[in-house]
Amino acid sequence: MWFDDSMALLATSSPAAPARPGTGPRRPPRTAARLRRAGVHALSLAVLVAAWWLITRLELVRPLYLPGPGAVWDAFVQANTDHPVREGSDRMVRGEQNHYLWEHLLASLRRIAIGVGAAIVVGVPLGLLMATTWVGVVLEPYLNFLRSLPPLAYIGLLIVWFGIGDTSKIWLLFLAAFPPVAMATISGVRGVREDMLNAARSLGASRRQVLTSVALPATLPEVLTGVRVAVGFAWTTVVAAEIANGIPGIGGLAYLAGEQLNSALVIACIVVIGLAAIALDLGLKSLERALVPWRGKA
Amino acid sequence: MRTSLTRGLAALGAVALSTSLAACGGDSETSADAGAAPATDCPFEPDESVTSTARIAWQAIPNADVVVKDLGLLEACLPNADISWVQAASGGDVITYYGAGEVDLGLMGSAPATRASSAPAMRDVDLAVVWIHDVIGDAESLIVKDASITDVADLEGTTIATPFSSTAHYSLLQALADAGLDPAKDVEVINLDPEKMPAAWQSDQVDAAWVWDPVQSQLLEDGGTRLLSSADTAAAGRPTFDVGTVERSWAADNEDFLTMWAKVQDHAVGLIQDDPVAAADSVAVVLGIDPEAAEAQFEGLDYLRADEQASADYLGGKLARDLRTTAEFLYEQGEIDAVGPQAQYDEHVDAGPATRAAQ
Repeated sequence: MWFDDSMALLATSSPAAPARPGTGPRRPPRTAARLRRAGVHALSLAVLVAAWWLITRLELVRPLYLPGPGAVWDAFVQANTDHPVREGSDRMVRGEQNHYLWEHLLASLRRIAIGVGAAIVVGVPLGLLMATTWVGVVLEPYLNFLRSLPPLAYIGLLIVWFGIGDTSKIWLLFLAAFPPVAMATISGVRGVREDMLNAARSLGASRRQVLTSVALPATLPEVLTGVRVAVGFAWTTVVAAEIANGIPGIGGLAYLAGEQLNSALVIACIVVIGLAAIALDLGLKSLERALVPWRGKA
Repeated sequence: MRTSLTRGLAALGAVALSTSLAACGGDSETSADAGAAPATDCPFEPDESVTSTARIAWQAIPNADVVVKDLGLLEACLPNADISWVQAASGGDVITYYGAGEVDLGLMGSAPATRASSAPAMRDVDLAVVWIHDVIGDAESLIVKDASITDVADLEGTTIATPFSSTAHYSLLQALADAGLDPAKDVEVINLDPEKMPAAWQSDQVDAAWVWDPVQSQLLEDGGTRLLSSADTAAAGRPTFDVGTVERSWAADNEDFLTMWAKVQDHAVGLIQDDPVAAADSVAVVLGIDPEAAEAQFEGLDYLRADEQASADYLGGKLARDLRTTAEFLYEQGEIDAVGPQAQYDEHVDAGPATRAAQ
């Protein structure tokens, strides 16, 4: 039900986005700059891959430590296809560990999504409460305590409490992602300029109106930054959380491949993890641009 | 004014929406686990009367347990039982899972099994060893870098890597003691995960390692020499095993399940012995390795049929004494609080399922 509401909200907000002033006429030069930047990135990537290929081709490094780009590509393809277990065998294997690579990735993304989603649902209201009431004074030391703990230190405890299934992993991701979101909300609320609040008040705004129309929108950019930090933190945590019973899961797959000294698959996993993290961050960034156009202007 | 709030909520809503969408996408995938395993018929009369719920902890070790898992033999022979498989990275993990009440059966090395049968872990878990998945032979061995070292006594002053608390660690310390070396003074024994050993080996940070495959093969390929293996320490009276354990109160309530479980394990041991090529395919699929490598790894482990297991040489008697010998070692390592009386280890070994399967 709640998601339906948010979808409606999303729909109502999107027509507003193209109407942003200033984007229309400036588009051509921006596109050119973007193209130029993409060219630079493509070139640096090509140089990197070529150097990688050359180093492995000249056998300067043993394949166990650094397999060539071809081997990594083969591992990537094999992880995404059905292949016979051995030449000529009719026993087919589905990807790696019975799942395609994208299924492993999706399983990890799903854990992150639920963990970070819960962190947002809990962290933002709690952050608001902590920044505006006495609750903050009471809870802030605990939040700082939680924030300073490396999540992996207490995964064992979470397994005992919540079992070895996804529940303990999602709890771990929630506990990792929740402090950055709450802290960002607190600092966002505290950073709202007093004169803006006073201006609204002098125009006759009620306490509630000040909160919903001034404080909250002014806090949002910071919250979204907190979410981006939380997602990054969740990525680093999920890979480690999946060491225990993490199949399907790309972190679990990378760990198993490492144990079998399958370096090519490890690198394929790392590349996919990195690309997925970048894509996710870019998505959040554009979401931020679309939904908080007042960032830096208010 | 109104739009700013709407937009703000929309931002949060969009994040929540994207997360919920991702959640929906993932759900359907996680249930597709049975995937590639071919449909197998039960080699015996399936027991439809068993309706147990069994959660089994398994490890990536090339033995009959992964063949059973891959071929779905247990599911075929116990069609009405609710069976789930949980992967564990080590025997220590399996004990944790037992402690959390998350598994009913599990595979672990003889060292963790001993730990589970001794104080303090025996307060939290109550396990019985009911099966020997394999007797460790050349699968775990001491590889040395310097080929001129031909005797364990020559290792004085060197650095030896092994994963602590493992069967390999146990075998190494036994071999050092037998050669008259004090592991605390004469050599430096360091704790290292197997997959990190090739790099340490390459950069001369370790002189030797007691380890299992695939790292063992890698070190041999890198110019290492096999000095000793767990087959030698076994011959010297210190055998190591991978054993099947079960929670004792669960075992009492699910006797028929265990009987069929042992029969199926016994059948898979027969497959490895009679048709290693086909069995290697199963191992290769589950472990994600080449079938040839899986076949080679079979050589390093000894597999026992149910009647051998039930005999006085193994579950029928000697295994409990081996556990107690292992307990003495673990006590010296400070990993358990006390070595219990022999009766305590007898109590944690149950030859019943193997005996019934052999009939």
